[in-house]
Amino acid sequence: MTSSKNAMALPLKEEHAPETEDSDPKIVKFAIVKKRQEDHSLEVGLASFEDAILPHLDAAHNLARWLLRNEQDAQDVVQEAYLRAFKSFAGFHGSNGRAWLLTIVRNTSYTLLKKNRAVDLTITFDEEIHGTSDVAVSPATILERSDNAELIKEAMDELPAEFREILTLRHQEGLSYKEIADIAQIPPGTVMSRLARARGKLKECLATRIGKENR
Amino acid sequence: MNCEEAKKLMDGYLDGELDPIANQKIEEHLRECRNCDQAYKVHGSLIRAIGNGTPYYKAPAKLRERIQSSLREEIAKEPVRNVVEDFPPPFPTEQRRTIPSAIPWNWLALAAAIIFAAIITFNLMPRLQRPGSDQFLATQLIASHARSLMANHLTDVASSDQHTVKPWLDTKLDFAPPVVDLSSEGFPLIGGRLDYLDNRPVAALVYERRKHFINLFVWPASSDAATAPKTITRQGYQLLHWADSDFNYWAVSDVNANDLQTFKQQFETRTPHH
Repeated sequence: MTSSKNAMALPLKEEHAPETEDSDPKIVKFAIVKKRQEDHSLEVGLASFEDAILPHLDAAHNLARWLLRNEQDAQDVVQEAYLRAFKSFAGFHGSNGRAWLLTIVRNTSYTLLKKNRAVDLTITFDEEIHGTSDVAVSPATILERSDNAELIKEAMDELPAEFREILTLRHQEGLSYKEIADIAQIPPGTVMSRLARARGKLKECLATRIGKENR
Repeated sequence: MNCEEAKKLMDGYLDGELDPIANQKIEEHLRECRNCDQAYKVHGSLIRAIGNGTPYYKAPAKLRERIQSSLREEIAKEPVRNVVEDFPPPFPTEQRRTIPSAIPWNWLALAAAIIFAAIITFNLMPRLQRPGSDQFLATQLIASHARSLMANHLTDVASSDQHTVKPWLDTKLDFAPPVVDLSSEGFPLIGGRLDYLDNRPVAALVYERRKHFINLFVWPASSDAATAPKTITRQGYQLLHWADSDFNYWAVSDVNANDLQTFKQQFETRTPHH
């Protein structure tokens, strides 16, 4: 942005400096025209940003909502993520705007999670507690109840953030393992095993809840 | 492949993310092992059902509005460039260097087409009908004059000898400007310089008048150029324009208007008439 300024910036000798330069309406007008042109190019940049990134607002909100388990936090994080994305949009040259945005949403969400609820990020906290609850609920019973959104929501919300994240990205966004690895910043080889553990844990949580209801 | 290995790869197989070899191996195992095949089918249908049953939190409409207005606020926050810092450019094309890289090329192409059309239109208009074309040139002239004093670049060839300055300029330009020393009239020749004005290289002759400098810009006259002398006063600078059958002259200085008129008369008197 400074190239034209540098081209103009000549060494200034005070004694020869024209004193009334800044009062010249032509020069002021020129500066205004230039400012307007910059405004215009910013607007053009904003338009192309909105065209490319705003269609993924639902995906961004859904991920943030599952990660934060709170509507207000989710909206704040998504708004902040969009601002961050806009500021770094010039550096985005890929074609996968959704994955790029979700990475920013994910990082912004984790920043808030780390600040507010550090305990949520520990993956092992409930594996022992819930892992032992061997309730006699058959897969068929779980399958029967799988249209119960409230039940699934409660079971999902019990899971650690890393599991909620990977389940959302795979089951709801249908992203590939490669995209998930990029967004969650884990080696591609660990996506499958983490996803398997998350699914197993989700089934357990569902079974536990259904078992408690039936008792 | 044994059951243990098949269990590990089951989710990858379900998601269609295995490499072809692993895919083939697990398919072979599932054909042979009833237990694993059953477990895979149950797992698959359950995972699909849970996935479908998971509530999807669509963004509320007001969040979209919030984001769009916050993006516009962000743009508005861009600092206004300091007007005083910006020296007027020698050519209008300079300002187009500052296009951010975020703009897609199709927009650039559109912008280029518009600018191109504007340039064509502007150039097709007869010179004298251009509103403010003198004003624009005056801005360029003052900028050129001021810059010649600022940048320690008053002259390319410093000589009070017109027979040194003239041949030097003749070799650098595609025209031969008249050069006269007016020392005896109180306007000693300081030297000559190449400049660029009105979209062409021009000769700048530098004269001195009681510690003040006069830049006399000279370039060939176009056939339809106005010959009536013109004076413009701007920012404390005097601009005086005249033309003869061969050349356009623009004298720019901070000397008073009378001195500049005298300068013009002396210059014309001493220039060989064609």
